[in-house]
Amino acid sequence: MIQLELRQNTNWWTSLRSILLALLITAAFSVAVLFVMSDRPADAIWQMLSFPWQGRRMEVQFGLVLQQSAYLAVIALGLSVGYRANIWNIGAEGQFAFGSIGAYAAYLLMGSPDSGWAFPALLLAGIIGGCLWAMIPAFLRVTCNTNELLTSLMLVYVASHLLTYLCIGPLKGDPKAGQAETYPIAESVQASKLISGTELHTGLLVLFVAFIILAAILLFTLLGYRLKVAQHTPRAERFAGFSPNNTVWLSFAISGAMAGLAGAVYLTAETGKLIQAENYLENFGFAAIIIAFLGRLHPVGILLAALMISYVNVGASYIQASLQVDDSVAELIEVVALFAFLGCAVLDQYTVKFKRTTTRKVA
Amino acid sequence: MNPETILFLSNLLTAAVLLATPLLLAALGELVVEKSGVLNLGVEGMMLIGALFGYIAAYNFQTITCLEELIPGMCTKEERVFTFTDYLLALVSAALAGAVLAALFGFLTQTLRANHVAVGLGLTILGAGLTNSLGSNFFGVNYTSVQVADHPEVFGQDLLVWFSLLAVPVIWYALQKTRMGLVIRAVGENHDSAYALGYRVARIRFWCILFGGAMAGLAGAFIVLVHVDWKEGVTVGKGWLALALILFGTWKPLRVLAGAYIFGLLWASELRLDNLFPAYQLEWKTMLTTAPYIFTILVLVIISRNPRMIRQNAPASLGKPFNPPS
Repeated sequence: MIQLELRQNTNWWTSLRSILLALLITAAFSVAVLFVMSDRPADAIWQMLSFPWQGRRMEVQFGLVLQQSAYLAVIALGLSVGYRANIWNIGAEGQFAFGSIGAYAAYLLMGSPDSGWAFPALLLAGIIGGCLWAMIPAFLRVTCNTNELLTSLMLVYVASHLLTYLCIGPLKGDPKAGQAETYPIAESVQASKLISGTELHTGLLVLFVAFIILAAILLFTLLGYRLKVAQHTPRAERFAGFSPNNTVWLSFAISGAMAGLAGAVYLTAETGKLIQAENYLENFGFAAIIIAFLGRLHPVGILLAALMISYVNVGASYIQASLQVDDSVAELIEVVALFAFLGCAVLDQYTVKFKRTTTRKVA
Repeated sequence: MNPETILFLSNLLTAAVLLATPLLLAALGELVVEKSGVLNLGVEGMMLIGALFGYIAAYNFQTITCLEELIPGMCTKEERVFTFTDYLLALVSAALAGAVLAALFGFLTQTLRANHVAVGLGLTILGAGLTNSLGSNFFGVNYTSVQVADHPEVFGQDLLVWFSLLAVPVIWYALQKTRMGLVIRAVGENHDSAYALGYRVARIRFWCILFGGAMAGLAGAFIVLVHVDWKEGVTVGKGWLALALILFGTWKPLRVLAGAYIFGLLWASELRLDNLFPAYQLEWKTMLTTAPYIFTILVLVIISRNPRMIRQNAPASLGKPFNPPS
């Protein structure tokens, strides 16, 4: 049987070793999946690894990877704040939707402006929208001790139905469109392209800056230290005069703001309008949960994990186009990576011994 | 009472049973899991995988005979026979599928001691992803053409309805009055003491997790075999509602039963209310579908306002990591 023995000392090498092992397991599984799902597995594996160099323009493919990883990393970093302190906000998808709704509402309230200055205002409105939506589970947790995990998830269903409601009801745009959607926001308010031909736009720059700021706060300030204390020893947190309730407020506010910002950027840069939920929401909020754990709740880890998963996602859609391999491969690889990373984390603290269990009778 | 009211009420009750049974099955399974001190948030994923495998199995086991072939090679009138044995086999497949996913959870959380919450969330995402890709591979794009023949009934209700109702006293008895139940509760209340007494904590929990997975699989199978046809995300968050139900029932099977049926009734009346709105008011129907989720939040708020109730009944080691001394 497998037996785990507590390690006396842990260092960077034990952590790195378990991460490498997890990557190896993920890679082995990915190869196996591609063998099953493709008729030309060797081509599929090769193209998935080297897809940016396969097509004509490398920057387009890398642009797609960066675009997706920006959304994932920002939401995941926001979520990681709460996860460090065992506060489970799993409703980022709803806060993302509310960020978009907030940004669109601000656009309408400002009287549909047609100038670039409205862009930051829309982003701010998105932050507020996501933040307010995240305040509901935080408020219920603090005042009524309600399980924030369940309430934040229930609010995802509410938010996505609300988005659809707005698109088919009060904000209904062009009735001839194939889907329920609002009228688009003015071209000048939308995020502008940084490099023509790629998906890189000013919105991604905003997300990147937001990521850096929050990462710096978590790594280098007293606030970050406080959250670290809350993570490792909740009792010490109280002795040191940090209120657990404030940690709840703070982590929900931060994660809601980040998801809301991502939602606002998504509205102004990718779609330009609200669309019914099933065509608008791309599960960034749920994928970000995986990213947060893959990155071990550390900013640097989250950034690397977001890049890795986005690379896999874009690669999967590339081989779907070129080799007709279903792009659900990406989803499977993602979850296997999560399980491999969570499972291998045991090697950080324990050594695994294989022993035969023998029952001996003592005379 | 006039016949219309009676018809309305009986329709309402039928709908309530259809909605309550999967909630009850999944919640009872998860109740045992939580009593052993494990928090498995993957109920939704296990329900989805159970639903898909139950549906695929039922689709394969049913016998289709062609009665009339007006155009050669195309059946215009067919007969689908779905016997009791076929039905049972489909249920077993669903339970096994749920248990396999649960075993993965058990291996990661019990053998490798990974974080319960993270693995549980991953399980839900895995269940959704796996069923979407397998489902579209198996049925193709043309979902509507797939039809599973009628499920066999016992005393006017589906077999699983009676099974879920019977499971309530059985699980109550097993947990409260048997040695096995005592051991499960001991492990859930204080794993260190249970370990010191010589119980294999991880192994006992593993079996409970498997049971929870099988029950969630059955719940999923009920949804697609009795209630609605398979489609992506067919469980619409029922796995999460089951988790909320356990809190509502404060880890007591009878209260979970009551909660499931209250919930089923409310959900059913919301669906009936739906019919009152004229067809053009699609937007209001969309808002009305959020009712069960808002109701869940309200219920959770009311229940948690009394922290003593939760603290007295919650298994003390629920979700806490277990590191046996070595």
